[in-house]
Amino acid sequence: MLSIKNLHASVEGNEILKGINLEVNPGEVHAIMGPNGSGKSTLANVLAGREEYEVTEGSVIYKGEDLLEMDVDERAHAGVFLAFQYPVEIPGVSMATFLKEAINANRRARGQQELSPVEMLKFIRSKTKLLGMDEQMLKRSLNEGFSGGEKKRNEMLQMALLEPSLAILDETDSGLDIDALKVVADSVNALRSPDRSFIVVTHYQRLLNYIVPDFVHVLFNGRIVKSGGKELALQLEEKGYDWIKEENAVAG
Amino acid sequence: MPTAIASEHIGHFIELYEKAKALSSPAPKLAALQDKAAAHLEEMRFPTRRDEDWKYTSVRQIVSQNWALGKATTLSPEHIENAAIKDLDDIRFVFVNGQFVPALSTPASQWPQGLTIKSLADALEGEDSEWLSAKLEAHAMHDNPFVVMNTAFGQNGWYMEVQKGAVIEKPVHLMMFSTGEEAFVQFPQLWVHAQTGSEFSVMEHYLPKEGNTPHFTCAVSCLRLEANAHVHHYRLQRESDTAFQINFCEVEQERDSVYSSYATDLGGAIVRNNQNVLLEQSNTETHLNGIYLINGEQHVDNQTFMDHAVPHCNSNELYKGIVTGKARGVFNGKVLVRPDAQKTNAFQQNSTLLLSPDAIMDAKPQLEIFADDVKCSHGATIGQLDESAVFYLRSRGLPLREARTLLQFAFLGEVISNMPHEPVRNFVEKLVHDKLYNH
Ligand SMILES: Nc1ncnc2c1ncn2[C@@H]1O[C@H](COP(=O)(O)OP(=O)(O)OP(=O)(O)O)[C@@H](O)[C@H]1O
Ligand SMILES: [Mg+2]
Repeated sequence: MLSIKNLHASVEGNEILKGINLEVNPGEVHAIMGPNGSGKSTLANVLAGREEYEVTEGSVIYKGEDLLEMDVDERAHAGVFLAFQYPVEIPGVSMATFLKEAINANRRARGQQELSPVEMLKFIRSKTKLLGMDEQMLKRSLNEGFSGGEKKRNEMLQMALLEPSLAILDETDSGLDIDALKVVADSVNALRSPDRSFIVVTHYQRLLNYIVPDFVHVLFNGRIVKSGGKELALQLEEKGYDWIKEENAVAG
Repeated sequence: MPTAIASEHIGHFIELYEKAKALSSPAPKLAALQDKAAAHLEEMRFPTRRDEDWKYTSVRQIVSQNWALGKATTLSPEHIENAAIKDLDDIRFVFVNGQFVPALSTPASQWPQGLTIKSLADALEGEDSEWLSAKLEAHAMHDNPFVVMNTAFGQNGWYMEVQKGAVIEKPVHLMMFSTGEEAFVQFPQLWVHAQTGSEFSVMEHYLPKEGNTPHFTCAVSCLRLEANAHVHHYRLQRESDTAFQINFCEVEQERDSVYSSYATDLGGAIVRNNQNVLLEQSNTETHLNGIYLINGEQHVDNQTFMDHAVPHCNSNELYKGIVTGKARGVFNGKVLVRPDAQKTNAFQQNSTLLLSPDAIMDAKPQLEIFADDVKCSHGATIGQLDESAVFYLRSRGLPLREARTLLQFAFLGEVISNMPHEPVRNFVEKLVHDKLYNH
């Protein structure tokens, strides 16, 4: 599914990712944890194609293709989805218009027929219901004035509608109460399948009780410095990151 | 100080005036007024960029041309039908090259009750409007030469009087077509007198010309709203990019009246709009909405003047535009709150997206407040598209062009959504969308 090799990326001349290696197979869930500023969002944004981040070295192969050569929207068409840590507010673009445009753009790119307005509404409604969202929200401007929780739910709604092959969730659980967190977990679990993979960036082990990961990685200072199973998350929750930092200070 | 060049340019228009006189003979009152205006014009000069009000807009390219008057001609009914606004049930006035074409217009027998429409000459002869003759006298002696010129030439003006309490459902739609190979000048003139408690909508619609010969539209509109009258005034300008327009619109509001304007500029090489509103009595509401979407070498200059002369009036201005290529936009919004105008609410916002390095926007809000118990604010912003928003949309699969179009459309949508007639809104949305997408 995804093969990241020796990935280096910088922003404004500062190297943030300093040689990331990560293999994600179809159907797997990978959790990425790590202290603030370690480069988790940078990695997520590089995968989604954000231009501010310059890839200086390394490769990313997605489904056998060079992901770094693809345009942002082409990545989406190919099934890459990033649930943003901080979704952008876009005044004047209604949720309904945005979802319709996004769904049809992907369908066009994949050679499928666009949905008729009736089909579209039905499809969107079925998912808002699943996520326990008020339909009135579809009339509002995209993310404008949404609470933190509403924004995260909205990211999950988009994921459910676009049905990606590789979903990257950047701290979708941060700031959510337990009920909202379950909604996020449910929407991930509903999509889990042998040909779909997830990269879940989080600070909290709590989420991983609901989305059980196959692997947990620790990103520190632009590198993955430790990988393990789900028990690694428990360990991090208990002991924090200091021991990892120390280990790396010794090693480095 | 009149320069030789400037007066020479005036001379061309005086010659043109003499020619026009030889061809037509309007009724005596109008003829006298026009002669008066022409005589005044002869003593004037055209403004230059040294004049404060014309600092950003040079009219030299416009006034230095040797214009002819538009020749009477016609278009096929299909042509008009194709240009109609879908689903808009309107009262049509069709003009071709500045000349009224009755055969293509809604016949007088179908004009609604409560709305009196007369040619300018008839209205003046009929003595039914003191207001009209007083205003025309003032225009003949106006200090803006384009207003004077319009008065001198404007034999094709229309006077619309909305009777007391009449609610006119159908908007009056003035469709201004231009056609043919000849460069010409036209002088549209619109008068609206909305009596107490009446409701009325009118649209000036300037359509694109086929072919690249330039023409020049020098338009004046003048609206008076009596107590509690409600008027919606659209100006939709989508001429070809070789056209020149200078518009002067003057509004007078009596107590409790509500005036809303919706000015959309998509076309034109050089366009200058003056929108003046005088609040004569209390408790009025004024909404000035404006859109400019320009590229290439287009130049659109909007000047607004809100004159708060009395207490308890509310005005709200929202002008938004997108400027790309080497285009230049100008917004100069003057709000005057006179010493008596306590409890005034006056808001003004001008926002522009400047999307290319060579595009220019000059935004100049001017608040002059001489009363102390007022709420006034203004804001002028000039910015770029929010790149993180573009990225967000693209990351959901929207191609770059769609993403940018959607964001720009949303930006202007705030103004379009204020237009009360749904067919007009849909029509403007489509025009804006097409122009954005084909940038
Ligand atoms: N656009 C940018 N311009 C400058 N510096 C940036 C930019 N984006 C990220 N950085 C820097 O890169 C480093 C890594 O940031 P990143 O957002 O990837 O961390 P993170 O691991 O996601 O942190 P958090 O847990 O707080 O979300 C930080 O030092 C941050 O300041
Ligand atoms: Mg982050």
